Amino acid sequence: MIRQAGDPREGENFADLYEHAPCGYLSTSMDGTITKVNGTLLGWLGIGRDELVGRRRFADLLSVGGRIYHETHFAPMLRMHGEAGGIALELVRADGTRLPVLVSSTVKTSANGDAELIRTTVFDAHDRRSYEQELLRALQEAEQERDRVQLLATTLQRTLLPPSLPHIPGMDVAAYYHPASADEVGGDFYDLFPLADGTWAFFLGDVSGKGAEAAVVTSLARYTLRAAAVYDPHPVAVLEHLNTVLIQEQISTTPRFCTAIHGLLEPAEGGATITLASGGHPPALLIRHDGPAELLTAQGGQLIGALPDARFVELQVHLRPGDTLLLYSDGLTEARTHDRVRYDEEELRDFADTLDVSSATETVAAVSQLLAGFGVDDDTALLALSVRLDEEGRS
Amino acid sequence: MTEFTVVTRDTPAGPVLELTGDLDAVTAPLALQAVEALTPRAGQQVVVELTGLRFCDSSGISTLIAVHNLAHAADAGIALAGVPRHLTRTLALVGLDGFFVTHLTAAQAQAAWPEATGG
Repeated sequence: MIRQAGDPREGENFADLYEHAPCGYLSTSMDGTITKVNGTLLGWLGIGRDELVGRRRFADLLSVGGRIYHETHFAPMLRMHGEAGGIALELVRADGTRLPVLVSSTVKTSANGDAELIRTTVFDAHDRRSYEQELLRALQEAEQERDRVQLLATTLQRTLLPPSLPHIPGMDVAAYYHPASADEVGGDFYDLFPLADGTWAFFLGDVSGKGAEAAVVTSLARYTLRAAAVYDPHPVAVLEHLNTVLIQEQISTTPRFCTAIHGLLEPAEGGATITLASGGHPPALLIRHDGPAELLTAQGGQLIGALPDARFVELQVHLRPGDTLLLYSDGLTEARTHDRVRYDEEELRDFADTLDVSSATETVAAVSQLLAGFGVDDDTALLALSVRLDEEGRS
Repeated sequence: MTEFTVVTRDTPAGPVLELTGDLDAVTAPLALQAVEALTPRAGQQVVVELTGLRFCDSSGISTLIAVHNLAHAADAGIALAGVPRHLTRTLALVGLDGFFVTHLTAAQAQAAWPEATGG
């Protein structure tokens, strides 16, 4: 099948193949000066052979970006390895238009190993470039779409959380929210707001589930709690009100309930009195300035929105200067740590005992740092209130 | 990785729903699908077999309440069997300790059901 080397047509065929091959051929001396070029490449460039051979260097045919790439990558690779392949560059045609190409070069060495010349093959990569640009555009569109979804989720999330916490005289307050995902609205909510007569209401809750359906309940819960607290600030009454509203809202067979702690803060002599009602929520943590941390378990408080006659349990504590009350969502205590061990309320209390904190800000900083170490996959909210230790330090 | 399976079997005393693995926000929709497919008759009892349940978060509790609501609407009973300790604890946390009838095994749950001979 292979023609004999002596075939008289052989030389002619090779010359013809070189000249009219479906790719460009180019030979240069080691300094890059063009010594030989085929008709195909000359056709692509729209330049005559005489203008190139002995006059121009290969790099002169490239776009500015291509020239820099040639100088910094292509030529060094060629010198080091004796070959460089599949490099995407752009040739500049005589009319100034550009032709995307794929370039491969090899160095031809003489019998004693000296580099003699560089042989270069140039493939028209026009189709391939269009395909890549198409891919890039599709990628950019997908990224824009994702950005839009994230922006929507973030915006919606912001409406479910207070933009900033109000200043309470003599108190330090701090909050933290860790979203499970940038694409989805989480089910955690909290707020702190003034009521009449210098008292304050606050709550922190967690809606079961995620996504749009959960967000509807989150929004409903947050606004219902705020309205109910104004109407009747008694925490158990507030939760009963929310329970009624959520039960009435059940639209599908999927039960949408939440757990929450609602509290009333009344400034008192030497601190503040706090009344809490819990609806199936993990117990609040009381971190005493001069004593052990304590879980405020409201035993028997039921989740909100699942049972028509749910009962809620109330308790009262007094905060002294340096004491901190911490509310958290079960993103913290249901956090499955890396080794999949549940981090429970008692461990949180023990962790709090090791802390040397005397303000809400310090407490939230320490606990959010703990959370960061877990790599939690659920959203998590923290809300802390403390009585300022140093009265002179008040701003 | 979350591993979760849900298996339903019909018995003369009523459907038995077996949940194993991790019941969380990711797997709860699967469980709920199975719950919505349950068709207990009046007087039967739905048993939820939980021996193999490794993890259950609030979405899981939501699933159990969905079973309760469905059974209630059909005038059927509901019992949980083989409730793991972590779930007992979670149920207590959300104030649902004592809310569900519980038994050690599905067989015991069915034996204890007054209308077990029906079907």
